[in-house]
Amino acid sequence: MKTLIKIKPKDYKVGDIVKVDFMAMHPMESGMRKDKDTGQVIPAHYINEVNFFFNDKVLTKMVTWESLSVNPVLSISMKVSGSGTLKVLAKDNKGDNVESSVAITPKG
Amino acid sequence: MERRSFLKGFGAVSVCAALVPSIVSAADEAKKVSGPNEMSVESALAAITGGKPVTLSSKVSLSAPEIAENGAVVPVKVSVESPMSAKDYVKAIHIFATKNNNVRCANVYLTPANGEASFGTRIKLGATQDVLAVAEMSNGTFLSAKQNVKVTIGGCG
Repeated sequence: MKTLIKIKPKDYKVGDIVKVDFMAMHPMESGMRKDKDTGQVIPAHYINEVNFFFNDKVLTKMVTWESLSVNPVLSISMKVSGSGTLKVLAKDNKGDNVESSVAITPKG
Repeated sequence: MERRSFLKGFGAVSVCAALVPSIVSAADEAKKVSGPNEMSVESALAAITGGKPVTLSSKVSLSAPEIAENGAVVPVKVSVESPMSAKDYVKAIHIFATKNNNVRCANVYLTPANGEASFGTRIKLGATQDVLAVAEMSNGTFLSAKQNVKVTIGGCG
């Protein structure tokens, strides 16, 4: 699973509310689709947990299901309380764990 | 007179034509495969609210397209009016696609550190249906918003 975190806008100050976009490259198989050649049901494979931490404090926790689109984008807001690291832990139902992080550096 | 009888005959044909699709769709229902996490709206809501009432509110705004050409990628955005202070904040936002096999899309548990109660993502819709957003407030009440999305090509196949 490849992931990417984007903070919008790029320049922000302490106290600003920024948008955090978390993107993951994931097939998000629902478990209901059939392989067109073999007729076999493709087993479910989806991200089921995404947790956001800022300086190791919980920011947002998510439980997600197979109804999310392929290569999901999850966006939330965050109030910048100072500099630090935003860490995102994502997990899928096959046990794949990915940790990604981005530095939060407010200007001024 | 000729025109009148023609119209009558035409009417009878169209009634027959209207009946046929309903028979076909009933057969389709029987063939329907069930996914691994199949769940209905009622049971999914009950699991979250524990039987508490959910009220439609203008505080919750749900933005989704009215017509989605491709059901595989339907952008959905939810924002809830709230000061997001330590005492009064939105605990969670839940998104449901009411006619999908598993109606649950995402359960998002927020904290006051979010600053703003908003959540956006893209979901798959199997057919034309209502998208439901439920916000769980810190005082224990549940507010919701609903929007119908017409899907031209289903996103689950």
